[in-house]
Amino acid sequence: MAVTLSDIIMDFPGTRALDGVDATFRLDEVHGLIGENGAGKSTLVNILGGSLKPTRGRLALEGATVVLESPRHALRLGIAHVSQEGSLVPALTGAENILLGEEPRRFGGILRRRALAETARALVDRWFPGLDLVLDRPVVDLPMADRKVIEIVRALRGKARLVILDEPTATLEAPEKKRLWDIVRSLPQQGVGVVLISHFLSEIQELSDRITVLRDGRRVATLNAKEVSSSLLANLMLRREDATDTGSPPIETVPIELGAPILSARDWRTPNTEVPSFELRAGEIVGLIGLTGAGHFDFARSLYTRDHVITGELRLHGIPASGTGVRAMQRAGMAFVPDQRMVNALAADGSLVENLTMVHPGFAARLGILRGFTERTEAHRVIAFMNIKASSLSQPIKTLSGGNKQKVSIGKWLYGADDRYTILIFVEPTEGVDIGAKAEIHAHMRRLASRGAAILIASSDLGEISEVCHRALPFVHGRARAAIEARDFSESLFISSISGDAA
Amino acid sequence: MSTQRISVPAAATGAPKQSGHRDWILRYSTLGVLILMFIGFSIFVDRFLTPFNLANIFQQIAILTIVGAGLTFGFAAKEIDLSVGYTVGLAGILVPFLLIQGWPLAGAILVGLVAGLAVGLINGLLVTKVGIPSLIATLAMGSVLFGVNFLVTGGRAIYGGLPQSFLDLGQGRILEIPNLAFFMLGFALIAWFVMERTVFGRYLYAVGGNQKAAELSGVRISFYRVASLTIVSLFAAIAGVLLAARLGSGQPNVGERYLLDGLATVFIGMTMFRPGTATIAGTFCGALFIGVINNGLNLVGMDTYVQNIIKGLIIIVAVAIVSRSTKLHLL
Repeated sequence: MAVTLSDIIMDFPGTRALDGVDATFRLDEVHGLIGENGAGKSTLVNILGGSLKPTRGRLALEGATVVLESPRHALRLGIAHVSQEGSLVPALTGAENILLGEEPRRFGGILRRRALAETARALVDRWFPGLDLVLDRPVVDLPMADRKVIEIVRALRGKARLVILDEPTATLEAPEKKRLWDIVRSLPQQGVGVVLISHFLSEIQELSDRITVLRDGRRVATLNAKEVSSSLLANLMLRREDATDTGSPPIETVPIELGAPILSARDWRTPNTEVPSFELRAGEIVGLIGLTGAGHFDFARSLYTRDHVITGELRLHGIPASGTGVRAMQRAGMAFVPDQRMVNALAADGSLVENLTMVHPGFAARLGILRGFTERTEAHRVIAFMNIKASSLSQPIKTLSGGNKQKVSIGKWLYGADDRYTILIFVEPTEGVDIGAKAEIHAHMRRLASRGAAILIASSDLGEISEVCHRALPFVHGRARAAIEARDFSESLFISSISGDAA
Repeated sequence: MSTQRISVPAAATGAPKQSGHRDWILRYSTLGVLILMFIGFSIFVDRFLTPFNLANIFQQIAILTIVGAGLTFGFAAKEIDLSVGYTVGLAGILVPFLLIQGWPLAGAILVGLVAGLAVGLINGLLVTKVGIPSLIATLAMGSVLFGVNFLVTGGRAIYGGLPQSFLDLGQGRILEIPNLAFFMLGFALIAWFVMERTVFGRYLYAVGGNQKAAELSGVRISFYRVASLTIVSLFAAIAGVLLAARLGSGQPNVGERYLLDGLATVFIGMTMFRPGTATIAGTFCGALFIGVINNGLNLVGMDTYVQNIIKGLIIIVAVAIVSRSTKLHLL
C-alpha cells in the first residue's frame, strides 16, 4: 500500500530541479519531506499531486504505473494536494468549499442546499468524529486552523489515499498548531498517508514516521523519525560548499581592530524575529545564519526597511535613528543589497547606467540636469572598481550574467562615492553567482570593511559566512543565539547552533 | 517555493553577443517600415511628396505628438491614462469658453492648463493614496470628464468671437511652416530633455522599471507616480488648447480620438530604440508613423473607417512585438 516515485527527473529551462529522485510514500504513515529552499520539495509534491509532469521517471500507485494528467486526475486516483497558500474560496461557507465542484444538485443545475450541508457535515464526522467545526459561515470568518481543516476535509472527500500538506502550520499560532497536529496524526490510522512539508524541524520530527531529506534536487536520505536528531537533519539539508572553495583557508579570521559600534539595535521585534541586543562595529563583518524561516533574513531586512517592526531601538553612529523610511536610513549611512536582485534591486529592461545610478542619479547633476560626462566617468569608475563585465553603459541589465548583475546591485551604492555608506546590509549576497564573481564580491566586502565600513550578511551559504565573517550570529525560530567568533568557526558548530539542538 | 524561483543565469550569460544582431533588427525595424511607407507613398501617390503636404502632415500630428509625449511620461513610470482624450476636450472647451466671456488670452490658457494639472493630480492621488490601478482610476475619470464636458457646453460647440491671437496659435504659419509644428517640436524637445537628461526622468524610469527596487533604493515612488500622471494630463491640456485654436472652436467630443491614437504612438514607439521602454523619440516616430499612414490613405481616398481598422491592427502588431521582449504590466 504505497505511492512510489522512481528515478524522477524534472528539468526547467536552465535548471534541473529534480535529479533522479526515488521515494516511497506509504499509506499508513506521515512522511516528512524536508530541504532548504530550492532543494526540490515543491517540485516533487507538484509532480505527486499532478500539477507538474516529470521530464522522466515513473509514478506507481500500489504497484501500477500511472501518468497523472492534472491535479483533478490525481484527486480521482486518491492523491490530494493541500497547498501552502490555501485554495478556499473566501466568500463561500465551509460546506460549500468542501464540496466545491461536486455539489449535490437537482435537474443538473439547481443546488440542493440542505443536502450539501448534510453531506459536508457527514464527511467531517466520518474522518474527524467529535471535531467542532463551523461549516455554515463564509470561511473568511473562520480561524486559520479551521480553514486548513476544511481544506483537508475537501482533500478527503473522494477516494482519499494520500494527502500532501505543504506547510500546513505556517500561518498558525501555537495552540492552533496543536489542533492541526492531532488531525494530521489521525489520518494514517484511517488508511490515508500524509506527505508533510514543513520548515519547522521540530514539527516534522514530532509528526512524522519517516523523513526524507532533499538537497539540490536529490534525495539525500530517508530516515526513521524516531531515531534522528535535528542536527543530523540540518546537516543533511544544508548545501555543501562548492568543491573549489574547500581547502582555501578562511582569510582574515582574526578581526582587525574594531572601531566603535556603528549600529546597535535593542529589543528588536518583528512578527518573525526577536533580537534583544545586537551591535555592529566599524570594520566588522557579521554573518547571520539559520535554517530557512529562522528569521535571520527578516532581521537584516527590517533594520533597513523598518517594515513590520513592532518594537526596537536603533542607534546609528551612537545617535538614535530618526525617521523610519529607507531614505532616513540612507541618510544615516545605511545601504541595503537585497536578495532576489531581479525582484528587489534591478530594473530588468533598464540599462546598466540607469541601474547603477538608481540610488544617486543626482551625483552627476546640477540643478536636476544630468551632466553626461560626469555620469559616464563615475559609472565607469564603479564598473572598473566592481569589475563589471559589460559591453556598454546602455546595455540592458537583463543581458548581464548573474554575477555581473549582483555587482551592479552592490555597485549602485558606490556610485557617487565609495564611502558614503558606512553600514552595508546584504541578504544572500552571492545567490546564483558563479564562483569567480563570488570571490570578488567577498573581496569587496573585506575591502569595504577594512576601510571602516560595518557589514552585515544574512546568508544561507555557511561556506560564505565562514569565509568572510568575523562573527556569526545563529538564529533559531526567530531568536538570535550566542554569537560564534571566527576562531571557533566550524561546519559542525554552525549546524548544531542553527538546528536548535544546543537549546 | 522552489519551483517559482527558477533563475536562468546559465542560459542568459551566453545570450548577449548572439542576440546583438536580432536586437538591432528589432530596434530599427519599425523605423524601416516607416521609411519604406514614406518612400512608397512618395512614389505611388502624386500629391504626397510636396512641401505643402509635408507641412500638412506635421500640422496633423502636432497635437497627437503632444498627447503622446505626455502619455510617454506615464508609461515610463508604468502608469496609463485613459482619461487623456477627455482632458484634451476639457481644456479645449474651457479656454474658448473663457475667451468668449472676455478673459485675456494668457489668463484663459492658464486656467485650461491648471484644469489639466488638477485632473492629473486627482488621477495620481487616486492611484497612490487610494490604491486604484491607474487603468481603472483614469477610465472612471474619463467618464466624469466626458460628463463635465457635455454639461459645460450643453453638447454644442463654442465658437464665434474668439480673438485672432488665439486662432493664430493653431492656424498661423511662420515662413510657410505651421505654428503647430513649432509647438510640437518645442514640447517634444522639452519632454525629451526631461526624460533623458534630468534626475527626474531617471527616477521616473526607475519607478517604471522596477518599483520595488526603486523603493528599496530610496526613491519616493508615490511622488513620481503622481508626477507622471500629472504631466500626462498637463500635456493633454496643452494639446486641447492648441486643438481648439486650430479648430477655432471648443467642441466637447473632439478629444476622444486622441486616446487611442495617443496610445498607438506610444506602443509603436515602444518597439524602437529601447524595445519595451516608452521613449520620447520612439513616440515621435510613432506619431509620424500614424501621420504618414493617415495622410497617405487620405490622399489615396481610402475610407476613414478603414483607417480605424488599420490603426487597430497596428496597435496589435506593435504590442505583440513589445510583448516579446517585455511584459506589459499596466494594471
